[in-house]
Amino acid sequence: MSGTFEARNKVAIVGYAQSQVVRRPTEPLGVTTIRTAREAIADAGLKPQQIDGFAASALMPTSGGHEAQDGISTVSPAWLAEHLGIEPAYAVGFQGHGQLTGSLTLAVNAVASGAADYVLLHRALHNPPAGKYNDNPMTEAAGMMQWCAPQGFFGGLPAIAMVYTEYCQRYGATREAMAHVVTEARNNGAKLPWSYWHGKPITTENYLAEPVIVDPMCRLDCDIPVQGVGVFILTSAERAKDLPNKPVYMSGYANGYPQRHRLPLHWTLDDMEEAGQALSARLWEAAGISREEINLVQPYDAFSPFVYIWLEALGFTPLGEAHRFILDGGIDASRPNSIAALSGGGAIGNGRLHGLPQLLECYLQLSGRAGQRQRNVSNAVFSYSAPYFGGAAVLTNTP
Amino acid sequence: MTGHILPVPDEMSAPYWDACSRHELKLAHCSQCAKVTHPPDVTCPNCHSIEPDFVWKQVSGHGRVRSWTVIRQSFLSGFELPFLLVDVELDDHPDVRLIGRLIDGADTPLTLGDAVTLTFDDLAPGVAVPAFVMAGKS
Repeated sequence: MSGTFEARNKVAIVGYAQSQVVRRPTEPLGVTTIRTAREAIADAGLKPQQIDGFAASALMPTSGGHEAQDGISTVSPAWLAEHLGIEPAYAVGFQGHGQLTGSLTLAVNAVASGAADYVLLHRALHNPPAGKYNDNPMTEAAGMMQWCAPQGFFGGLPAIAMVYTEYCQRYGATREAMAHVVTEARNNGAKLPWSYWHGKPITTENYLAEPVIVDPMCRLDCDIPVQGVGVFILTSAERAKDLPNKPVYMSGYANGYPQRHRLPLHWTLDDMEEAGQALSARLWEAAGISREEINLVQPYDAFSPFVYIWLEALGFTPLGEAHRFILDGGIDASRPNSIAALSGGGAIGNGRLHGLPQLLECYLQLSGRAGQRQRNVSNAVFSYSAPYFGGAAVLTNTP
Repeated sequence: MTGHILPVPDEMSAPYWDACSRHELKLAHCSQCAKVTHPPDVTCPNCHSIEPDFVWKQVSGHGRVRSWTVIRQSFLSGFELPFLLVDVELDDHPDVRLIGRLIDGADTPLTLGDAVTLTFDDLAPGVAVPAFVMAGKS
Protein backbone atom coordinates (compact mmCIF):
# COMPACT_ATOMS: atom_id res chain seq x y z
CA MET A 1 0.00 0.00 0.00
CA SER A 2 1.12 3.55 -0.61
CA GLY A 3 -0.66 6.75 0.28
CA THR A 4 -3.31 7.30 2.91
CA PHE A 5 -5.14 4.27 4.32
CA GLU A 6 -8.41 4.00 2.39
CA ALA A 7 -10.35 3.12 5.51
CA ARG A 8 -8.79 5.97 7.48
CA ASN A 9 -11.09 6.89 10.40
CA LYS A 10 -13.86 4.67 9.03
CA VAL A 11 -13.44 1.99 11.71
CA ALA A 12 -13.80 2.71 15.42
CA ILE A 13 -13.20 1.07 18.75
CA VAL A 14 -16.50 1.29 20.62
CA GLY A 15 -15.95 -0.73 23.77
CA TYR A 16 -13.43 -2.65 25.82
CA ALA A 17 -12.80 -4.76 28.86
CA GLN A 18 -9.59 -5.55 30.70
CA SER A 19 -9.38 -8.52 33.05
CA GLN A 20 -7.63 -8.46 36.36
CA VAL A 21 -3.94 -9.21 35.76
CA VAL A 22 -2.77 -12.07 37.95
CA ARG A 23 0.58 -13.76 38.40
CA ARG A 24 -0.74 -17.33 38.54
CA PRO A 25 -4.04 -18.36 37.01
CA THR A 26 -6.79 -19.72 39.22
CA GLU A 27 -8.99 -20.58 36.24
CA PRO A 28 -8.48 -21.65 32.61
CA LEU A 29 -7.52 -18.81 30.29
CA GLY A 30 -10.66 -19.46 28.25
CA VAL A 31 -12.86 -18.67 31.25
CA THR A 32 -11.10 -15.35 31.85
CA THR A 33 -11.43 -14.57 28.15
CA ILE A 34 -15.16 -15.36 27.99
CA ARG A 35 -15.87 -13.22 31.05
CA THR A 36 -13.81 -10.32 29.63
CA ALA A 37 -15.42 -10.68 26.19
CA ARG A 38 -18.93 -10.51 27.69
CA GLU A 39 -17.95 -7.37 29.64
CA ALA A 40 -16.57 -5.74 26.49
CA ILE A 41 -19.67 -6.55 24.44
CA ALA A 42 -21.89 -5.06 27.15
CA ASP A 43 -19.57 -2.05 27.47
CA ALA A 44 -20.06 -1.36 23.76
CA GLY A 45 -23.85 -1.43 24.25
CA LEU A 46 -24.21 -4.62 22.21
CA LYS A 47 -25.67 -8.10 22.62
CA PRO A 48 -23.43 -11.16 22.05
CA GLN A 49 -25.43 -12.20 18.98
CA GLN A 50 -24.54 -8.91 17.28
CA ILE A 51 -20.85 -9.86 17.24
CA ASP A 52 -20.20 -11.46 13.87
CA GLY A 53 -16.44 -11.17 13.62
CA PHE A 54 -13.56 -12.43 15.76
CA ALA A 55 -9.86 -11.58 15.42
CA ALA A 56 -6.91 -12.55 17.58
CA SER A 57 -3.47 -14.06 17.61
CA ALA A 58 -3.00 -17.22 19.60
CA LEU A 59 0.79 -17.30 19.22
CA MET A 60 2.84 -17.20 22.39
CA PRO A 61 0.27 -17.02 25.09
CA THR A 62 3.30 -18.20 27.05
CA SER A 63 6.93 -19.13 26.43
CA GLY A 64 9.48 -21.73 27.48
CA GLY A 65 8.84 -25.45 27.18
CA HIS A 66 5.08 -25.30 27.70
CA GLU A 67 2.52 -26.83 25.39
CA ALA A 68 -0.31 -24.44 24.48
CA GLN A 69 -3.86 -25.84 24.82
CA ASP A 70 -6.80 -23.99 23.30
CA GLY A 71 -9.14 -22.75 26.03
CA ILE A 72 -6.66 -23.57 28.80
CA SER A 73 -3.45 -21.71 28.05
CA THR A 74 -4.31 -20.04 24.75
CA VAL A 75 -7.56 -18.87 23.16
CA SER A 76 -8.13 -18.92 19.43
CA PRO A 77 -10.81 -16.76 17.78
CA ALA A 78 -12.83 -19.84 16.77
CA TRP A 79 -12.68 -21.28 20.30
CA LEU A 80 -13.92 -18.02 21.76
CA ALA A 81 -16.78 -17.69 19.26
CA GLU A 82 -17.92 -21.26 19.87
CA HIS A 83 -17.75 -20.90 23.66
CA LEU A 84 -19.69 -17.64 23.58
CA GLY A 85 -22.37 -19.48 21.60
CA ILE A 86 -21.89 -17.34 18.53
CA GLU A 87 -21.67 -18.55 14.95
CA PRO A 88 -19.51 -15.84 13.40
CA ALA A 89 -19.46 -14.73 9.78
CA TYR A 90 -15.73 -14.24 10.10
CA ALA A 91 -13.19 -15.59 12.60
CA VAL A 92 -9.59 -14.92 11.76
CA GLY A 93 -6.25 -15.44 13.49
CA PHE A 94 -3.02 -13.58 12.90
CA GLN A 95 -0.04 -15.86 12.44
CA GLY A 96 3.48 -14.97 13.44
CA HIS A 97 5.06 -12.25 15.55
CA GLY A 98 3.50 -8.82 15.81
CA GLN A 99 0.50 -10.46 17.44
CA LEU A 100 -1.48 -7.48 18.74
CA THR A 101 -0.90 -5.04 15.89
CA GLY A 102 -1.27 -7.91 13.41
CA SER A 103 -4.63 -9.02 14.77
CA LEU A 104 -5.81 -5.41 15.20
CA THR A 105 -5.06 -4.98 11.51
CA LEU A 106 -7.22 -8.00 10.69
CA ALA A 107 -10.05 -6.63 12.83
CA VAL A 108 -9.90 -3.19 11.20
CA ASN A 109 -9.81 -4.69 7.72
CA ALA A 110 -12.73 -6.98 8.49
CA VAL A 111 -14.94 -4.00 9.39
CA ALA A 112 -13.61 -1.83 6.56
CA SER A 113 -14.29 -4.51 3.97
CA GLY A 114 -17.71 -5.38 5.34
CA ALA A 115 -16.63 -8.93 6.17
CA ALA A 116 -18.12 -8.34 9.61
CA ASP A 117 -20.16 -5.58 11.24
CA TYR A 118 -19.01 -5.91 14.85
CA VAL A 119 -15.60 -7.47 15.46
CA LEU A 120 -14.33 -8.68 18.80
CA LEU A 121 -10.54 -8.43 19.08
CA HIS A 122 -8.93 -10.22 21.98
CA ARG A 123 -5.49 -11.00 23.33
CA ALA A 124 -5.12 -13.57 26.08
CA LEU A 125 -1.82 -14.15 27.88
CA HIS A 126 -0.97 -17.08 30.10
CA ASN A 127 1.54 -17.83 32.80
CA PRO A 128 1.67 -21.47 33.90
CA PRO A 129 0.25 -22.20 37.37
CA ALA A 130 3.65 -23.49 38.49
CA GLY A 131 7.22 -23.44 37.31
CA LYS A 132 9.22 -20.81 35.49
CA TYR A 133 7.73 -19.07 32.50
CA ASN A 134 10.81 -19.04 30.29
CA ASP A 135 12.79 -22.06 31.47
CA ASN A 136 13.51 -24.61 28.80
CA PRO A 137 14.75 -28.07 29.72
CA MET A 138 16.31 -28.81 26.32
CA THR A 139 19.49 -30.91 26.25
CA GLU A 140 19.83 -30.88 22.51
CA ALA A 141 19.03 -28.24 19.94
CA ALA A 142 17.53 -29.09 16.57
CA GLY A 143 16.24 -26.86 13.78
CA MET A 144 16.83 -23.16 14.24
CA MET A 145 17.84 -23.56 17.87
CA GLN A 146 21.01 -25.44 16.85
CA TRP A 147 22.48 -22.10 15.74
CA CYS A 148 22.26 -20.39 19.14
CA ALA A 149 21.36 -22.62 22.10
CA PRO A 150 24.63 -24.69 22.17
CA GLN A 151 26.61 -21.53 22.98
CA GLY A 152 24.02 -20.43 25.56
CA PHE A 153 22.25 -17.76 23.51
CA PHE A 154 18.57 -18.32 24.11
CA GLY A 155 15.45 -16.26 24.77
CA GLY A 156 14.39 -12.67 24.41
CA LEU A 157 16.40 -11.31 27.32
CA PRO A 158 19.90 -11.93 25.88
CA ALA A 159 18.54 -10.79 22.52
CA ILE A 160 17.48 -7.35 23.77
CA ALA A 161 20.53 -7.14 26.05
CA MET A 162 22.77 -7.24 22.96
CA VAL A 163 20.81 -4.38 21.39
CA TYR A 164 20.87 -2.40 24.64
CA THR A 165 24.62 -2.85 25.14
CA GLU A 166 25.24 -1.48 21.67
CA TYR A 167 22.83 1.40 22.31
CA CYS A 168 24.55 2.37 25.58
CA GLN A 169 28.01 2.15 24.03
CA ARG A 170 27.10 4.04 20.89
CA TYR A 171 24.98 6.79 22.44
CA GLY A 172 26.19 7.05 26.02
CA ALA A 173 22.92 6.02 27.68
CA THR A 174 23.11 5.49 31.42
CA ARG A 175 21.30 3.33 33.94
CA GLU A 176 19.93 6.54 35.46
CA ALA A 177 18.03 7.24 32.24
CA MET A 178 16.54 3.75 32.23
CA ALA A 179 15.61 4.16 35.89
CA HIS A 180 13.42 7.02 34.70
CA VAL A 181 11.65 4.74 32.19
CA VAL A 182 11.06 1.92 34.63
CA THR A 183 9.90 4.05 37.55
CA GLU A 184 7.55 5.96 35.24
CA ALA A 185 6.02 2.66 34.05
CA ARG A 186 5.75 1.11 37.49
CA ASN A 187 4.47 4.21 39.22
CA ASN A 188 1.76 4.80 36.63
CA GLY A 189 0.92 1.09 36.65
CA ALA A 190 0.67 1.16 40.44
CA LYS A 191 -2.39 3.44 40.09
CA LEU A 192 -4.32 1.03 37.84
CA PRO A 193 -6.79 -1.20 39.70
CA TRP A 194 -6.38 -4.14 37.27
CA SER A 195 -2.57 -4.05 37.18
CA TYR A 196 -0.51 -6.82 38.76
CA TRP A 197 1.64 -4.01 40.18
CA HIS A 198 -1.34 -2.07 41.62
CA GLY A 199 -0.25 -0.28 44.78
CA LYS A 200 3.41 -1.23 44.28
CA PRO A 201 5.36 1.79 43.02
CA ILE A 202 9.17 1.73 43.00
CA THR A 203 11.88 4.34 43.44
CA THR A 204 14.96 5.18 41.40
CA GLU A 205 16.98 3.74 44.28
CA ASN A 206 15.08 0.42 44.00
CA TYR A 207 15.96 0.26 40.33
CA LEU A 208 19.61 1.18 40.72
CA ALA A 209 20.03 -1.36 43.52
CA GLU A 210 18.63 -4.20 41.40
CA PRO A 211 21.38 -6.61 40.29
CA VAL A 212 22.03 -7.01 36.58
CA ILE A 213 21.14 -10.54 35.40
CA VAL A 214 21.89 -10.36 31.68
CA ASP A 215 24.10 -7.29 31.22
CA PRO A 216 23.00 -4.53 31.12
CA MET A 217 19.47 -5.73 31.90
CA CYS A 218 18.09 -6.26 35.39
CA ARG A 219 14.85 -7.96 36.39
CA LEU A 220 13.00 -4.62 36.58
CA ASP A 221 13.75 -3.98 32.88
CA CYS A 222 11.50 -6.94 32.04
CA ASP A 223 7.74 -7.29 32.24
CA ILE A 224 6.55 -10.01 34.60
CA PRO A 225 4.71 -13.04 33.13
CA VAL A 226 1.04 -12.95 34.07
CA GLN A 227 -2.37 -14.20 33.09
CA GLY A 228 -4.54 -11.45 31.68
CA VAL A 229 -6.93 -10.69 28.86
CA GLY A 230 -7.90 -7.55 26.97
CA VAL A 231 -10.86 -7.27 24.59
CA PHE A 232 -11.86 -4.49 22.20
CA ILE A 233 -15.00 -4.16 20.08
CA LEU A 234 -14.67 -2.56 16.64
CA THR A 235 -17.31 -1.44 14.20
CA SER A 236 -17.79 1.12 11.45
CA ALA A 237 -17.70 4.84 12.22
CA GLU A 238 -21.26 4.97 10.93
CA ARG A 239 -22.59 2.32 13.34
CA ALA A 240 -20.50 3.77 16.17
CA LYS A 241 -22.75 6.86 16.18
CA ASP A 242 -25.57 4.82 17.70
CA LEU A 243 -23.46 3.31 20.50
CA PRO A 244 -22.95 4.69 24.02
CA ASN A 245 -19.19 5.35 24.13
CA LYS A 246 -17.26 8.07 22.37
CA PRO A 247 -15.72 6.31 19.35
CA VAL A 248 -11.98 6.12 18.86
CA TYR A 249 -11.13 5.92 15.18
CA MET A 250 -8.33 3.98 13.54
CA SER A 251 -6.41 6.38 11.33
CA GLY A 252 -3.80 4.00 10.03
CA TYR A 253 -1.31 1.29 10.83
CA ALA A 254 1.98 -0.13 9.68
CA ASN A 255 3.55 -3.50 10.35
CA GLY A 256 7.19 -4.50 9.97
CA TYR A 257 8.82 -7.76 8.96
CA PRO A 258 12.39 -9.11 9.15
CA GLN A 259 14.54 -8.00 6.24
CA ARG A 260 17.86 -9.53 7.24
CA HIS A 261 18.75 -13.15 7.61
CA ARG A 262 20.11 -13.61 11.13
CA LEU A 263 20.57 -16.24 13.78
CA PRO A 264 17.36 -16.95 15.72
CA LEU A 265 16.65 -14.11 18.15
CA HIS A 266 19.72 -12.26 16.99
CA TRP A 267 18.39 -8.73 17.22
CA THR A 268 20.70 -5.87 16.30
CA LEU A 269 20.47 -2.13 16.88
CA ASP A 270 21.12 -1.45 13.19
CA ASP A 271 18.24 -3.71 12.14
CA MET A 272 15.90 -2.10 14.69
CA GLU A 273 16.80 1.41 13.53
CA GLU A 274 16.57 0.61 9.84
CA ALA A 275 13.22 -1.15 10.16
CA GLY A 276 11.90 1.54 12.49
CA GLN A 277 12.54 4.35 10.03
CA ALA A 278 10.84 2.43 7.21
CA LEU A 279 7.82 1.46 9.33
CA SER A 280 7.45 4.99 10.63
CA ALA A 281 7.39 6.49 7.13
CA ARG A 282 4.62 4.06 6.11
CA LEU A 283 2.68 4.75 9.31
CA TRP A 284 2.50 8.53 8.99
CA GLU A 285 1.61 8.28 5.32
CA ALA A 286 -1.14 5.73 6.00
CA ALA A 287 -2.56 7.73 8.91
CA GLY A 288 -2.58 10.97 6.94
CA ILE A 289 -1.30 12.83 9.96
CA SER A 290 2.05 14.20 10.99
CA ARG A 291 4.01 13.31 14.08
CA GLU A 292 3.60 16.88 15.34
CA GLU A 293 -0.17 16.37 15.67
CA ILE A 294 0.27 13.43 18.05
CA ASN A 295 -0.15 14.21 21.72
CA LEU A 296 -0.02 10.76 23.27
CA VAL A 297 2.59 8.09 22.55
CA GLN A 298 2.48 4.59 24.02
CA PRO A 299 5.58 2.67 22.93
CA TYR A 300 6.00 -1.06 23.58
CA ASP A 301 8.06 -1.77 26.68
CA ALA A 302 8.15 -5.52 27.40
CA PHE A 303 11.87 -4.92 27.74
CA SER A 304 12.61 -1.35 28.78
CA PRO A 305 15.06 -0.57 25.88
CA PHE A 306 12.14 -0.88 23.46
CA VAL A 307 10.97 2.52 24.73
CA TYR A 308 14.14 4.11 23.30
CA ILE A 309 13.88 2.08 20.10
CA TRP A 310 10.28 3.08 19.44
CA LEU A 311 10.47 6.76 20.43
CA GLU A 312 13.35 7.09 17.97
CA ALA A 313 11.74 4.91 15.29
CA LEU A 314 8.55 6.96 15.38
CA GLY A 315 10.56 10.15 15.17
CA PHE A 316 9.78 11.67 18.56
CA THR A 317 13.52 12.06 19.12
CA PRO A 318 16.51 11.74 16.78
CA LEU A 319 18.36 8.40 16.80
CA GLY A 320 20.36 7.97 19.98
CA GLU A 321 18.59 10.81 21.80
CA ALA A 322 15.63 9.11 23.48
CA HIS A 323 17.52 8.55 26.73
CA ARG A 324 18.33 12.29 26.97
CA PHE A 325 14.76 13.29 26.05
CA ILE A 326 13.53 11.02 28.85
CA LEU A 327 16.00 12.40 31.40
CA ASP A 328 14.70 15.86 30.52
CA GLY A 329 11.17 14.82 31.51
CA GLY A 330 9.91 14.26 27.95
CA ILE A 331 7.71 11.30 28.89
CA ASP A 332 6.63 12.32 32.40
CA ALA A 333 2.88 11.80 32.76
CA SER A 334 2.90 14.43 35.52
CA ARG A 335 3.65 17.10 32.88
CA PRO A 336 0.55 18.10 30.90
CA ASN A 337 2.40 18.70 27.64
CA SER A 338 4.67 15.66 27.62
CA ILE A 339 4.02 12.69 25.33
CA ALA A 340 3.28 10.66 28.51
CA ALA A 341 4.82 7.56 26.97
CA LEU A 342 4.06 5.26 29.91
CA SER A 343 0.90 6.89 31.30
CA GLY A 344 -0.88 3.56 30.92
CA GLY A 345 1.86 1.76 32.83
CA GLY A 346 3.00 -0.24 29.81
CA ALA A 347 3.90 -3.88 30.20
CA ILE A 348 6.43 -3.09 32.91
CA GLY A 349 3.69 -1.43 34.98
CA ASN A 350 0.88 -3.94 34.25
CA GLY A 351 2.46 -7.32 33.56
CA ARG A 352 3.35 -9.11 30.36
CA LEU A 353 0.31 -8.26 28.22
CA HIS A 354 1.95 -7.98 24.80
CA GLY A 355 0.91 -4.47 23.80
CA LEU A 356 -2.53 -4.44 25.43
CA PRO A 357 -1.65 -1.69 27.94
CA GLN A 358 -0.50 0.54 25.08
CA LEU A 359 -3.65 0.08 22.98
CA LEU A 360 -5.85 0.32 26.07
CA GLU A 361 -4.31 3.61 27.22
CA CYS A 362 -4.74 5.13 23.76
CA TYR A 363 -8.38 4.03 23.75
CA LEU A 364 -9.13 5.23 27.30
CA GLN A 365 -7.48 8.63 26.82
CA LEU A 366 -9.05 9.28 23.41
CA SER A 367 -12.52 8.19 24.52
CA GLY A 368 -12.33 10.35 27.63
CA ARG A 369 -12.52 7.32 29.91
CA ALA A 370 -9.12 7.54 31.63
CA GLY A 371 -10.52 8.81 34.93
CA GLN A 372 -7.98 10.61 37.09
CA ARG A 373 -5.31 10.04 34.41
CA GLN A 374 -7.36 11.83 31.77
CA ARG A 375 -5.28 14.03 29.49
CA ASN A 376 -6.35 16.49 26.83
CA VAL A 377 -5.50 14.45 23.73
CA SER A 378 -6.84 14.10 20.22
CA ASN A 379 -4.35 11.85 18.38
CA ALA A 380 -2.36 8.95 19.76
CA VAL A 381 0.09 6.35 18.51
CA PHE A 382 0.99 3.01 20.05
CA SER A 383 3.47 0.34 19.06
CA TYR A 384 3.96 -3.32 19.72
CA SER A 385 6.96 -5.66 19.67
CA ALA A 386 10.02 -4.62 17.62
CA PRO A 387 9.95 -2.55 14.43
CA TYR A 388 10.66 -5.59 12.25
CA PHE A 389 8.27 -8.08 13.79
CA GLY A 390 5.65 -5.80 15.18
CA GLY A 391 3.81 -2.69 14.27
CA ALA A 392 2.27 0.61 15.21
CA ALA A 393 -1.10 2.27 14.79
CA VAL A 394 -2.49 5.81 14.98
CA LEU A 395 -5.84 6.46 16.66
CA THR A 396 -7.89 9.63 16.92
CA ASN A 397 -11.04 11.02 18.50
CA THR A 398 -11.25 13.91 16.02
CA PRO A 399 -11.51 12.44 12.52
CA MET B 1 32.51 -24.98 28.98
CA THR B 2 29.90 -26.89 30.93
CA GLY B 3 26.97 -26.13 28.64
CA HIS B 4 25.68 -29.44 27.37
CA ILE B 5 23.07 -28.53 24.84
CA LEU B 6 24.27 -30.42 21.83
CA PRO B 7 23.41 -29.35 18.30
CA VAL B 8 21.43 -31.84 16.24
CA PRO B 9 22.90 -31.69 12.73
CA ASP B 10 20.47 -32.01 9.85
CA GLU B 11 20.88 -32.27 6.11
CA MET B 12 21.42 -28.53 5.79
CA SER B 13 23.74 -28.06 8.77
CA ALA B 14 25.80 -31.28 8.74
CA PRO B 15 28.78 -29.77 6.83
CA TYR B 16 28.92 -26.91 9.35
CA TRP B 17 29.03 -29.17 12.41
CA ASP B 18 31.45 -31.55 10.68
CA ALA B 19 33.85 -28.66 10.19
CA CYS B 20 33.34 -27.44 13.76
CA SER B 21 34.30 -30.86 15.08
CA ARG B 22 37.68 -30.32 13.35
CA HIS B 23 37.82 -26.76 14.79
CA GLU B 24 37.23 -25.20 11.41
CA LEU B 25 34.59 -22.58 10.65
CA LYS B 26 32.94 -23.19 7.30
CA LEU B 27 30.11 -21.01 6.04
CA ALA B 28 27.55 -21.62 3.31
CA HIS B 29 28.19 -19.88 -0.03
CA CYS B 30 25.37 -19.79 -2.56
CA SER B 31 26.35 -21.55 -5.76
CA GLN B 32 24.26 -19.07 -7.75
CA CYS B 33 25.37 -15.67 -6.42
CA ALA B 34 28.47 -16.80 -4.46
CA LYS B 35 27.43 -14.76 -1.43
CA VAL B 36 27.84 -16.15 2.04
CA THR B 37 24.94 -16.72 4.41
CA HIS B 38 24.58 -17.91 7.98
CA PRO B 39 22.73 -19.90 9.02
CA PRO B 40 21.96 -21.71 5.76
CA ASP B 41 18.34 -21.56 4.65
CA VAL B 42 16.17 -23.40 2.13
CA THR B 43 16.73 -20.50 -0.25
CA CYS B 44 19.56 -18.02 -0.63
CA PRO B 45 18.61 -14.93 1.39
CA ASN B 46 20.77 -12.79 -0.91
CA CYS B 47 19.70 -13.73 -4.45
CA HIS B 48 16.55 -15.64 -3.37
CA SER B 49 17.45 -18.65 -5.48
CA ILE B 50 15.48 -21.77 -4.63
CA GLU B 51 18.48 -23.85 -5.68
CA PRO B 52 21.29 -22.32 -3.64
CA ASP B 53 23.26 -25.62 -3.55
CA PHE B 54 25.44 -24.17 -0.84
CA VAL B 55 29.18 -24.70 -1.06
CA TRP B 56 30.92 -24.79 2.32
CA LYS B 57 34.11 -22.76 2.48
CA GLN B 58 36.41 -22.17 5.39
CA VAL B 59 36.57 -18.59 6.71
CA SER B 60 39.18 -16.97 8.94
CA GLY B 61 36.85 -16.14 11.81
CA HIS B 62 38.57 -12.81 12.48
CA GLY B 63 36.03 -10.26 13.49
CA ARG B 64 34.98 -7.21 15.46
CA VAL B 65 32.79 -7.05 18.52
CA ARG B 66 29.52 -5.35 17.67
CA SER B 67 27.90 -6.03 21.02
CA TRP B 68 27.99 -8.31 24.02
CA THR B 69 26.18 -9.48 27.12
CA VAL B 70 27.10 -11.32 30.28
CA ILE B 71 24.70 -14.14 31.10
CA ARG B 72 24.40 -14.30 34.90
CA GLN B 73 21.08 -16.13 34.90
CA SER B 74 20.01 -18.48 32.10
CA PHE B 75 16.74 -20.05 31.01
CA LEU B 76 18.82 -23.06 29.94
CA SER B 77 20.32 -25.48 32.39
CA GLY B 78 23.84 -26.85 32.55
CA PHE B 79 25.83 -23.68 31.85
CA GLU B 80 28.52 -22.50 34.22
CA LEU B 81 27.55 -18.93 35.11
CA PRO B 82 28.43 -16.21 34.43
CA PHE B 83 29.65 -16.28 30.85
CA LEU B 84 30.09 -13.58 28.24
CA LEU B 85 28.62 -13.77 24.75
CA VAL B 86 29.91 -11.57 21.94
CA ASP B 87 28.09 -10.53 18.78
CA VAL B 88 30.84 -10.63 16.16
CA GLU B 89 30.85 -9.14 12.67
CA LEU B 90 33.27 -11.13 10.50
CA ASP B 91 36.02 -9.08 8.85
CA ASP B 92 35.79 -10.99 5.58
CA HIS B 93 31.98 -11.17 5.55
CA PRO B 94 30.52 -8.11 7.28
CA ASP B 95 26.96 -9.25 6.55
CA VAL B 96 27.51 -12.29 8.75
CA ARG B 97 27.32 -11.89 12.49
CA LEU B 98 27.99 -14.77 14.83
CA ILE B 99 27.29 -15.08 18.53
CA GLY B 100 29.70 -17.06 20.66
CA ARG B 101 31.24 -17.24 24.09
CA LEU B 102 34.25 -15.03 24.76
CA ILE B 103 36.60 -17.45 26.46
CA ASP B 104 38.66 -14.68 28.10
CA GLY B 105 36.04 -14.60 30.85
CA ALA B 106 32.90 -12.81 31.96
CA ASP B 107 34.72 -9.78 33.38
CA THR B 108 36.74 -9.00 30.23
CA PRO B 109 36.55 -5.26 29.56
CA LEU B 110 35.17 -4.63 26.08
CA THR B 111 34.49 -1.74 23.76
CA LEU B 112 32.64 -1.74 20.45
CA GLY B 113 34.94 -2.72 17.60
CA ASP B 114 37.39 -4.79 19.66
CA ALA B 115 39.14 -7.42 17.52
CA VAL B 116 38.49 -11.07 18.27
CA THR B 117 39.56 -14.32 16.69
CA LEU B 118 37.89 -17.66 16.38
CA THR B 119 38.30 -20.54 18.77
CA PHE B 120 36.06 -23.45 19.72
CA ASP B 121 34.30 -24.76 22.79
CA ASP B 122 34.33 -28.56 22.91
CA LEU B 123 30.91 -29.65 24.14
CA ALA B 124 31.39 -33.41 23.87
CA PRO B 125 33.74 -35.75 22.02
CA GLY B 126 33.49 -34.73 18.34
CA VAL B 127 31.12 -31.84 19.06
CA ALA B 128 32.39 -28.27 19.13
CA VAL B 129 30.77 -24.84 18.84
CA PRO B 130 32.48 -21.65 17.65
CA ALA B 131 33.66 -19.28 20.35
CA PHE B 132 35.90 -16.22 20.38
CA VAL B 133 39.02 -14.93 22.08
CA MET B 134 40.40 -11.39 22.25
CA ALA B 135 42.80 -10.91 19.33
CA GLY B 136 46.44 -11.36 20.22
CA LYS B 137 45.68 -13.46 23.27
CA SER B 138 45.00 -16.84 21.69
